[in-house]
Amino acid sequence: MNQYLYDGTADGLLSAIAWILEEEPDPEKVMLRERMDTLFEEGFTIGTDATLAESLFFRLKQFAPDAAHTLYSFMLAEKEGMETSLLHYVSLAFKHGDQVKGYLTHPAVRDIVYIAKKAGRELHRMKGLLRFEKLRDGAYLAKMAPDYNIIHPLADYFSRRLRAQHWFIYDVKRRTAVRWNNGSLQFGTIEQFTTPAFSEDEKKVQALWQAFFKTIAIPERKNPRLQKSNMPMKYWKYLVEKQGE
Amino acid sequence: MDTFAKLQILSGAARYDVSCASSGSKREAPSCGTGNTSSSGICHSWADDGRCISLLKILLSNDCIYDCAYCVNRSTNPMERASFTAREVIEITLDFYRRNYIEGLFLSSAVMQSPDYTMESMVRVAEALRTEEQFGGYIHLKIIPGCSSELVRKAGLYADRISVNIELPSQASLQRLAPQKHKNAILEPMALIGREISTSLVERKVSRRAPQFAPAGQSTQMIIGASPENDFQILRLSQGLYKKMNLKRVYYSAYVPVTADNRLPVLASPPLLREHRLYQADWLLRFYGFSAEEILSEDAPHLDESFDPKTAWALRHPEFFPVEINRADFATLLRVPGIGVLSAKRIIAARRFSLITYEGMKKIGVVLKRAKYFITCSGRSFEKPDQPPALIRQQLLLSENREALVSAPSKQLVLPGFFA
Ligand code: SF4
Repeated sequence: MNQYLYDGTADGLLSAIAWILEEEPDPEKVMLRERMDTLFEEGFTIGTDATLAESLFFRLKQFAPDAAHTLYSFMLAEKEGMETSLLHYVSLAFKHGDQVKGYLTHPAVRDIVYIAKKAGRELHRMKGLLRFEKLRDGAYLAKMAPDYNIIHPLADYFSRRLRAQHWFIYDVKRRTAVRWNNGSLQFGTIEQFTTPAFSEDEKKVQALWQAFFKTIAIPERKNPRLQKSNMPMKYWKYLVEKQGE
Repeated sequence: MDTFAKLQILSGAARYDVSCASSGSKREAPSCGTGNTSSSGICHSWADDGRCISLLKILLSNDCIYDCAYCVNRSTNPMERASFTAREVIEITLDFYRRNYIEGLFLSSAVMQSPDYTMESMVRVAEALRTEEQFGGYIHLKIIPGCSSELVRKAGLYADRISVNIELPSQASLQRLAPQKHKNAILEPMALIGREISTSLVERKVSRRAPQFAPAGQSTQMIIGASPENDFQILRLSQGLYKKMNLKRVYYSAYVPVTADNRLPVLASPPLLREHRLYQADWLLRFYGFSAEEILSEDAPHLDESFDPKTAWALRHPEFFPVEINRADFATLLRVPGIGVLSAKRIIAARRFSLITYEGMKKIGVVLKRAKYFITCSGRSFEKPDQPPALIRQQLLLSENREALVSAPSKQLVLPGFFA
């Protein structure tokens, strides 16, 4: 079985897949993993080519939009050690189109779809759970610590929703940040984060929200288990309504 | 009274209204404004009772001139009264929306002064949000029974969803418990809304610029257990509402005693299990191709407490089973207990590649401990064939009761189409 290596980057992974699909007669029979640069490493290293990576993604998007969406969500998970599965998945997607998602009896499809779903679910959850706080200068800031690297699609989503505001989203875990101002998004990293001063009415609005959160629950129907399963505790740290509980 | 105190009173009063759906509408944010709606619906938090919070759900006022027996806000109930100004509601909505606490506003109200006065104040809030503040988020307005049709029309132009509560499942009960409300004052606006929605859909086919009327459709709510109607009557009513009035959703709300009144039943606890079974039966009506008459009958007018309505149906119809997983069509698969819409779709999709095996079914998400009595897989059955229904009944009860009893029925709305 042929063995290929790539440099560990997302672009590297996709361009390696593109290369293999092009050159290998039976891509479902080869393996792909990250190059570790150990002495006796076996395998042929495929160089990274960002344009190749991009064109692979766009071709897949045209041919099988749903499978491309799965690929995208999977990449958000930054999972290591599943490159071979991803290669097989993409190869199958080019064969069967979007119907590949029904092929859950295939281990590679199942694994990729499973991870992609988890990442997609967190992205969807975060669209609801992200909380902005108003700063003294009128901009808004949201902090989060998601399991998956979802800041890009999340920022995209909020750029359509909160168009008229100037805002920031900061991923505390990865120290990455995005800023929306005057109709454009800018991504970057923050090495040293200091929380800026809040606007004067921020505390008041938060208190209103906390009061609403408390009163909207029906006291006869308390159900902390259901609450936790819908809204896992790992997200509570940045939820205004869960502060001081 | 300050906004904070008002919010506490007026959100507390709104909490028994169950509709939290914010889906079904797709609105782009105005380029200089705030907010859009998302067609799959988004939960922003989950309250202590486990329900999804997606909208700022409040009453404009709880200062009611009516005296409905089952309602906290009834005029004879001694309690603190409050009313928001339009400005206050607008400010809170925008403040919450900009911080991503909510998808939008769900505004209802007690009847102040008159139905028209109340409805007009509510419409004014929605109008100002849309036209002055360029608000593109979700708005749901309750229609006050008895208000003019002009106001109903206006409400539909600004809101994503409008709804009229049917309150109780029969006119007799309405008369007894809510004497100031009349059946016609409820059904007429419903019919009007239904007509306006279809007209607007037709017009928008011709021109994209025709105004949208309540794009997320119409819903209603009824209280379960405050009056004597049985489940069959209730399901037939819902069926009629879906078919004749084109409603998107009927919400059932277990009666929670809030005031003492000798016209009301005394319940040890709210009938949550009954409410849960009604929701399940309602799903069968909307997504599984069942009719109310298949689920219940005059002779057996109550939903089974121990089984979900689909399993109950299957147990009554042994002649329909077993169903062959590798051959049955979609509609037939849907009738198998333990196979939902999603797993039925997956089965059809997976069959394209290979025959489905027992293992394969597990991966697809079929609940085998329920389905196994009703299916064959390439001719093979999992349980002894032709067991009498009584025996299956017993086995199902044994395997399921433990969980069924501990897991409280959830009212969590399932977001249709999300990650299907
Ligand atoms: S009209 Fe509405 S708010 Fe007033 S008492 Fe009746 S149900 Fe309650």
